[in-house]
Amino acid sequence: MNGGAMNEVEPFRLLDCSLARRATGRACCNLRELLEAVRSVPDSVLEHHMMRCALEDHFELYEFPNDLARWCWDGLGDHVLGEQIGLVDPYKHPSIAGVRATLVNLIEERLWGLERVPWCRSGLELHLVESLLIAYDTGEHIRTPAALAEAIERLPLRSLFFHVHEARRRTAGHSDDFSAWLEQLGEYEVLVEKLRAVDFYFLNLSQLRQELIDIFRQNLVTSAAAAKVTP
Amino acid sequence: MKLLDRYEEVVGHQEVERLRRLADRLGGKRIVHVNSTRIGGGVAEILRWMIPLLNELGLDAHWEVISGPAEFYRVTKSFHNGLQGLPVTLKKSDFDLHYEVNRENAGRLNLEADVVFVHDPQPICLPQFTPAGQVGRWIWRCHVDASRPDRTLWKYLERAIARYQATIFSLAAFTRPLACPMFLIPPSIDPLSDKNCPIPEAERLETLTRLGIDPQRPLLLQVSRFDRFKDPIGVIKAYHLLKPYHPEMQLALAGGTADDDPEGEEVLREVTGYAGDDKDLKVLSLPPDAHRTINALQRSAIVVLQKSLREGFGLTVTEALWKGKPVIGGACGGITLQVHNYHTGFLVHSPAGAAYRIRYLLRYAEKRQRMGRVGHEFVREHFLFTRQLRDYLVMLLCMDHCGDGVLVV
Repeated sequence: MNGGAMNEVEPFRLLDCSLARRATGRACCNLRELLEAVRSVPDSVLEHHMMRCALEDHFELYEFPNDLARWCWDGLGDHVLGEQIGLVDPYKHPSIAGVRATLVNLIEERLWGLERVPWCRSGLELHLVESLLIAYDTGEHIRTPAALAEAIERLPLRSLFFHVHEARRRTAGHSDDFSAWLEQLGEYEVLVEKLRAVDFYFLNLSQLRQELIDIFRQNLVTSAAAAKVTP
Repeated sequence: MKLLDRYEEVVGHQEVERLRRLADRLGGKRIVHVNSTRIGGGVAEILRWMIPLLNELGLDAHWEVISGPAEFYRVTKSFHNGLQGLPVTLKKSDFDLHYEVNRENAGRLNLEADVVFVHDPQPICLPQFTPAGQVGRWIWRCHVDASRPDRTLWKYLERAIARYQATIFSLAAFTRPLACPMFLIPPSIDPLSDKNCPIPEAERLETLTRLGIDPQRPLLLQVSRFDRFKDPIGVIKAYHLLKPYHPEMQLALAGGTADDDPEGEEVLREVTGYAGDDKDLKVLSLPPDAHRTINALQRSAIVVLQKSLREGFGLTVTEALWKGKPVIGGACGGITLQVHNYHTGFLVHSPAGAAYRIRYLLRYAEKRQRMGRVGHEFVREHFLFTRQLRDYLVMLLCMDHCGDGVLVV
């Protein structure tokens, strides 16, 4: 999205995004219903509860990075399955089909070994939601790595989600937008490598911002900030 | 100074600029909002700021209000209760009246628009009486928990909803399966409204004195309509359980009334009777425009309660958090989205639970203050009007562009 030849790299277009959330009208009360839902819901539902839920994480309140792990832990009281699903990183799978297969396998395996199907109490049902992500150009075009570092400190967390999480989904886990742009500029191999090594799914967006700020501070060589970009 | 410029001071230039960019993509759509009252209640409060802001963003928005005889409001109050699951008795003549009032209003209101948002069940039948082509899209906005409605009522409403292209609910837990898309948009507060803006200390103290509240002693507060779902009696029970440990404590139950809520007076009498002659317990029936009084009360409280048994979103919780107060809330509806144990307050299930958590907060002043700070920031991030406005704009964009997944506009 920020393509161009190395010596004619286009500025980084900063995008913002928002979710249009839609209820499916479907809810799970027990583990068997969760298994059935994971098998049959559209990809957009799994994507929302496994990936886009990062946009709803507040103040590091949540222990796990996805809704399904949280519900198993809090709603069903199944801490073993909560821990197992918490460890599923959907960005390591090239498609939602792979995430779905992994989840089905975990839940089936867990159900196999249980004498009773765990239920949640009334009011703690998992309400299944899907979402459409709308991204839009903020009009801010960043021309230097130093300016990018400065922007990361102040941009809305939604932009961070789009340029890191959503970019990883777009590129089948390969790259975030920041490192992809820096790579085009050249001269920033270490920075690119560090950015791509961030275990972003484990962090909430505020923690991710801090991690990126730290990486830029430690690795951005100011002299290289003069990399040529077209006006 | 434009309204949006004033809001920039609270939410920042960046947020307002993003709203402008989103709105630009909607190309000046004509938007109408329809509800049943201009005064009182959360919907009217939302529309009061939303309409001028939509216009400043370049959209062509206006607000229409349906009207009917007193009997119509009695019926729609039963609809309101029945939609939230209270047992109600509705006769055929009640549905007929509702239908007829909608028919009359459809002929009277200016509904020519690209999108008409119809709020709650009172005006829900308008699409049936509006000429084809006059309205581009009908969207029904349900502000209450409709997950377990009265069956007869729901059958009636479901037929009306079939004419809508989309619905909006505050939470997924408030929905029932419907054929059209069910968008999720939590409501929000206006930080510059009389109810939420900063107020001078002298005005705060004067308000307390006028209401007979001692500014020197701690105050517990619940602000809500006099409605059984808000459990005002439960709040008094919690106060009675607390009073032996904190004899200095005061309690204020401040309730407004709304044009479309004829049951409020009856509940107010019950609450006043139950409160008895305790000088430290004030049952305040405030006029619907007493926003600054409520603001002063919320800023004066040491802890705010919203001990509802059923709740829509619970904007009074949002208001209290915005003012840096920890909230003790009933574990229901939108309160569960806002009150997170040990972070912004406590969720409780009984008067005893409320009394216990109040004692905790009174004992640990530093934790109480920290929760207040966290709550304020939490609201800034998630429950100010800018977020709600953005959600509406995004939803409209989404409806203009079919498809799933990711859309870059």
